[in-house]
Amino acid sequence: MITRRHFVELGSTLAAASAIACEEVPPQLESLLTSADPVSPPATDDVDLVSHVAGRLSFGLRPGDHARIRSVDPDLGLAVEHYVDAQLSPDAIDDTAAEARLRRYVELDESPGELYEYKEQVLLASLTSAAILRARYSERQLHAVMVEFWTDHFNIDSGKGDCRWLKAADDRDVIRTHALGSFPEMLRASAVSPAMLWYLDGRVNRYGAPGDRPNENYARELLELHTLGVHGGYTQQDVMEVARALSGWTVRSRREVVFGLGKVEFHPEWHDDGEKHILGRVIPAGLGSRDLDAVMDLVSLHRSTAQHLATKLCRRFITDDPPATAVDRVATAFVSSRGNIASALRTLFATPEFTRVRRTKLKRPFHFVVSAMRATEARTDGGPALHEMLRRMGHAMYQYPTPEGYADHEASWLGTLLWRWNFAAALAGNRVDGTRVEPAALRRTLGGEDGLRAHVLGRRPTAAERDIFAAAADSLPLLLASPAFQRY
Amino acid sequence: MAGLGFVTRIAPRDRAIVVIFLRGGADGLTLVAPVADDAYHRARPTLRVREQDGVRLDDVFALHPRLAPLVPLWASGELAIIHSVGSEDATRSHFEAQDLMEHAGTAAGGWLGRFLRLRAIRQPGALSAVAFGTELPAALRGAPSATVLRSLGTFSLGDGAQGMLRALADLYAIEHNALGQAAGDTVDALRRLERLASAPRPITAADYPRDDFGEALRQTAQLVRAGVGLEAATIDLGGWDSHFTQDQLLEPAMDRLARGLAAFRRDLGPDMARTTVVVMTEFGRRVAENSALGTDHGRGSVMFALGGGVLGGRVLGGWPGLGPDALEGPGDLPVRTNYRNVLAPILTTMAEGSVVSRSFPGFSLDPIPLVG
Repeated sequence: MITRRHFVELGSTLAAASAIACEEVPPQLESLLTSADPVSPPATDDVDLVSHVAGRLSFGLRPGDHARIRSVDPDLGLAVEHYVDAQLSPDAIDDTAAEARLRRYVELDESPGELYEYKEQVLLASLTSAAILRARYSERQLHAVMVEFWTDHFNIDSGKGDCRWLKAADDRDVIRTHALGSFPEMLRASAVSPAMLWYLDGRVNRYGAPGDRPNENYARELLELHTLGVHGGYTQQDVMEVARALSGWTVRSRREVVFGLGKVEFHPEWHDDGEKHILGRVIPAGLGSRDLDAVMDLVSLHRSTAQHLATKLCRRFITDDPPATAVDRVATAFVSSRGNIASALRTLFATPEFTRVRRTKLKRPFHFVVSAMRATEARTDGGPALHEMLRRMGHAMYQYPTPEGYADHEASWLGTLLWRWNFAAALAGNRVDGTRVEPAALRRTLGGEDGLRAHVLGRRPTAAERDIFAAAADSLPLLLASPAFQRY
Repeated sequence: MAGLGFVTRIAPRDRAIVVIFLRGGADGLTLVAPVADDAYHRARPTLRVREQDGVRLDDVFALHPRLAPLVPLWASGELAIIHSVGSEDATRSHFEAQDLMEHAGTAAGGWLGRFLRLRAIRQPGALSAVAFGTELPAALRGAPSATVLRSLGTFSLGDGAQGMLRALADLYAIEHNALGQAAGDTVDALRRLERLASAPRPITAADYPRDDFGEALRQTAQLVRAGVGLEAATIDLGGWDSHFTQDQLLEPAMDRLARGLAAFRRDLGPDMARTTVVVMTEFGRRVAENSALGTDHGRGSVMFALGGGVLGGRVLGGWPGLGPDALEGPGDLPVRTNYRNVLAPILTTMAEGSVVSRSFPGFSLDPIPLVG
């Protein structure tokens, strides 16, 4: 029997192989894919457990993923468990092939101050390309999925003020660093992220003379969006008191200084150091910058925060209006693990609701575009043609203007079908600049037309679907544009 | 005189706005010249529009002769002109002034994008907001979805599109849910567009200027007439930064603008009643001409509003005159009317007042009496 480790290695071999040049499928890849079993797609009428779980934890299955996951253990349940466990520990997954593709974006590794040396359009394009390439190629798929989730949760419009330069640092130091780690740590990193201090005006939340009104923007969104939730039991008074507690934190900006741009600082002279009353607790006077820690302690593991986050996670991974039973279990796991995101997810993936409720979610445009490229093993540069497609579908990366981030409800995305069909046709017809598919090789490696259909749909087609696909001149664009492929 | 909106009752949700941005700072004093003001003729000895050449609008203003195709729209009361209009940005920098005007303040997103998101009248469709050109104008940022197009031909589903569309209609018909419904709407919109593209048009393409601008207007008209849910379209027209040999630059630009708008009006027919066109620019030009037969960056300029609901045939905005006391800074026509107060009444025909005021955060609106 082939061990799990072997399959991890196989996975990276495949990724490395697909990184090689463009004109044809490399022979070693073809032989891997056509060898007896590894590629065989699902052979059930309903979406099977493997397609379901991998579809939820990733940006879609590539040719061979199904078999790879299955073959780890003859017991399907255990095989899927292995897959979930592995995805929850991304650091243990070898991702060198994907990392190699991202090396060209050196600017994304720069410190906040150095980011100002780049043109803002370059940074936005690089960030977007890197997100697409990670989602397309990374073996750490669940991590990439959670990066997308937190990018909306801690939304920053890169078009506002100096976010044009600083969002790249936030993406790296807040979102990607903590995506499967500790929520309290992520929250604190976000609170003092230079981009967030710009986006929600924390940098101008200053208390000078008595009677000054602090800027409440960040305080409000911290409670409403980042932690407790709009019905989380806080009052306007709490918002004002949180704003007082966070006054004095700022970021060096171009208008004020020449050196140390993007540096986050605490100015005691702008801080309201009096006593505060927040959520029924007293923060004593005189704590200075440690007021921030006191606020974080009050909100990051609050029961309302757990409920709010659990609801959003269950919405992402189960269904738009998730069942309360699952939400409660996830919220409890969140609190008992001290806000460990991977632990909360482990509990979520173990709920019966997660296993039972299948194909209920509409892929958002980013998910759809990437999953189509993964399903077809498309080689892509993640470049401008894709950025443009995403904008047409209303999903321009890092450009949602208001703090709630892109919606995770089907209703928000139903108007995007025309462009999804357009993309499906363009991708299958090799009319997307910088992206290439090999439909003939794809069919071969999947064992022909039936294999292709089962692979893209995650199940065998129904009789009605079969008739429609059979009548089509080319089934690939139709499969990618089909209702079944819009869901996960 | 009654504008189009006066004679027809159109529900706010059925209305659309077309924003034409004259990039480069168009000289309002040439487009709509204060020919009755001696100070104008003194400041513009070479570049002035002579009283006998312009098309008289009222006791003060005459339209530049190259804008003559607009005269019937003025006469019918569909076209209004707003003079001495602009933004609070006084940098006289193209970038800064456009940036401020399109964002409408320091908030994230653009004014039009914010408006469309707050308006939220229906599922944003693939063709709710269309920007003709190569990139999304800042004004449309933050729209629920925005499509940048050079041409409607971009919709092609490739070879065998007809077959694919039929198959998709069949596939989605199996879905008895919101997704199936959305697919039905999409197929319907595509077919309507196709029919329109092949149907004989009330006016020929040749009536439009033969350039990107004319083509963008023609396709905008096509989208409006097809009823595919267009809420807003943006079109840029460049060539207004007339630092030297101004006439040579502006005359062809005015020609395109006027012929384009006149063709658009004829093409739309009765659909003009639910469509409002607004023409704007980031700033006007210095009152005094320079030594290179041009004009430098200034402040106030003009805006045009055409179509549904507009009470036209009038120059609005309050003319400050060109006396030395009236001018601003280095000798510029001041901004008497903030451009938001021109956009606001138009948007008010499309959505509730609270939606309009929230589209312009941090600004206290005082809309001019532009619509009826």
